[in-house]
Amino acid sequence: MILATAYLMLFASSGHRLNTYSYLFMGTYLASNLFIPYIPAHFFYKAAFFYFLVLFDSIMVITGIYLSGNVGTDFYLVFFLIICLSAMGSSFRYLMVTTLLLCGIYGWLLYQEGLLSGEKSINHALRLPFIVIVALFFGFIVDAIVRDKDKKIKESEERYKTLVQSSAVLVAVVDLEGRLLSANNKMLSTYGFNAEEQMLCKNISEFHSPENSAEFLSHIQKVIQHDMISEYESYERLFDKWFFRTISPIKDSEGRVTSASVVAKDITERVKKEEELKETNQKLIETRDQLIQKDKMAALGRMASGIAHEIRNPLEIISMGVDYLENAFTDSNEMAKKSFGKIDNAIDRANKIINDILKFSRKTEFKLEPVVISELLTETLSLAEHHIKKSGIRLNVNLPDVAVIASVDRNMLQQVVLNVINNAVDAMSDRPVKELSVSVRRESVTKIGYKTGYRQTDYFKIGEEMIVVGIGDTGMGIPQDVLPKIFEPFFTTKETGKGTGLGLSLAHMMIERLRGVIDVQSEINKGTVFHIKLQPANDIRSKGNLP
Amino acid sequence: MNKKKILVVDDEEDFVFFVRENLMNTQEFEVVVAINGKRGVELARTERPDLILLDLVMPDMSGEQVATVLNDTPDTRHIPIIFLTALMTKEDAGEGPMKKIGDSYFIAKPVRTKQLVAAIKQRLGEN
Repeated sequence: MILATAYLMLFASSGHRLNTYSYLFMGTYLASNLFIPYIPAHFFYKAAFFYFLVLFDSIMVITGIYLSGNVGTDFYLVFFLIICLSAMGSSFRYLMVTTLLLCGIYGWLLYQEGLLSGEKSINHALRLPFIVIVALFFGFIVDAIVRDKDKKIKESEERYKTLVQSSAVLVAVVDLEGRLLSANNKMLSTYGFNAEEQMLCKNISEFHSPENSAEFLSHIQKVIQHDMISEYESYERLFDKWFFRTISPIKDSEGRVTSASVVAKDITERVKKEEELKETNQKLIETRDQLIQKDKMAALGRMASGIAHEIRNPLEIISMGVDYLENAFTDSNEMAKKSFGKIDNAIDRANKIINDILKFSRKTEFKLEPVVISELLTETLSLAEHHIKKSGIRLNVNLPDVAVIASVDRNMLQQVVLNVINNAVDAMSDRPVKELSVSVRRESVTKIGYKTGYRQTDYFKIGEEMIVVGIGDTGMGIPQDVLPKIFEPFFTTKETGKGTGLGLSLAHMMIERLRGVIDVQSEINKGTVFHIKLQPANDIRSKGNLP
Repeated sequence: MNKKKILVVDDEEDFVFFVRENLMNTQEFEVVVAINGKRGVELARTERPDLILLDLVMPDMSGEQVATVLNDTPDTRHIPIIFLTALMTKEDAGEGPMKKIGDSYFIAKPVRTKQLVAAIKQRLGEN
């Protein structure tokens, strides 16, 4: 607009030659200027294009001057404005070339109009070097400013580059598809490359396992699509390392998130230490449990000795007394004989209970070791074979071909299994179908707090494996109201004198010591199944043998 | 027939009474009794029994202490001893009436007269 007004003033002052061509030229020039806003901004950053525009403008100005027919006018001062503006293009070389071309054309015009001769020739001629000097002046100033700015930018860039490159963390830029756009030295060395080019434009899936890649990519996409920061830890199988990654969005000049920065830290050492700590803690808990257990056993031992002493002494008096009385009633008194027999039985029963308690309390030698369960079961079954065959029971044994190894105390488990088998055999004594089934299988733990009797335990963790020994019979079953009591000490349904009521309660205590669980399912008239859940042996190998 | 003299040392008076009666009834033994360890040692010295039945757990002196004292005296050192204990299980005791552990002989309580007599005879025979 300013230029158009200036032209009008120029043409108006010249007073002649204002014809169609002049209007046409002005229209064209204005139209050409209207196009400029539609040229994408980044074109202006190219020096050649920018200075071409400047030159074009200058030629237009010269053409305007020519068309006005007033070549000698001071309108040429517009050149200074142009030079001043064009210095912003910050290319000293292009500025000088443009200026010289401009001077050439303007000089030629002056010469053509005969203004370089005559009385005012020196005035007109001086215009040319004047333009060049102004151009030189602006050029130098702008160049100095640009240089200084460049230097500062370069320095700051260098600082950031060093920061990123020499960083001890892995830094990379990735796009939405997971392609690497840049990577720092630490990243290169970690991934085993020498030069950044070897990694660039490659997808992260080329450097990670499929699972790791999927996880990585999902985080990248989340970050880019939702413009958020994402942090996660993952174990990289290919490196045998743990990484902590922070992924943040990178925005372009229009504020759109097109890529993401990935900062990864190798946290393997930390994770290792954490695991060690966890393990130590676990060991501590176990040791504490064992100490408590040991203490319990010691207390039980002391109590058992006390009970044995206090009960056996009166028993001894009774039995000696019976012997004495038997001797006194030598004449065959049937009544007396029967009574003595009954007293003898009672003494035996009481003594048997003391015997069981003593036996259990003395089991101080306790050693967890890997035991092939099917072998132990076969062994135990052969011990009970006589009892089983005598009772006419069909044996249904289902043992796996592969060795299922549990961590147990061999004698303890055998005692428990024997006890459960004996119970099963007794339960089927007057049943039409007599079948004893014994099985072993691995099972993964699906719930917390398996109950053993009344008590909930935390011996098994979800997702881990346990070994389940099943012992089932086709006996008369156990009524629901009796079921919870069967692990209580001195509880028995066997006829008086046959059971001490200690078998299952001892079995329960023993399995508890093995950090296992024993439970029971029963259906009236169908049968009863005992499940003994045991710790697999691999668990123990890391924990070491327990004292 | 020369009756063997048996010394019974146990803090349970009633047991001591019955065991004395029962052993005497066999007509094979002469029985002296003590109801504590100290008295047991005295009697062992004065009565010179052929065998001592000695309870392990007694309030004043344990059976072990009594045995040690007797073993330290030349006069009583040779007297065979059978310990009576309430802390032995059926499995410990094994088949016989008496169990030999180291150099000592044990009988598990409660014991019947028949087994006791058998054990005494065996012990005397071995000596």
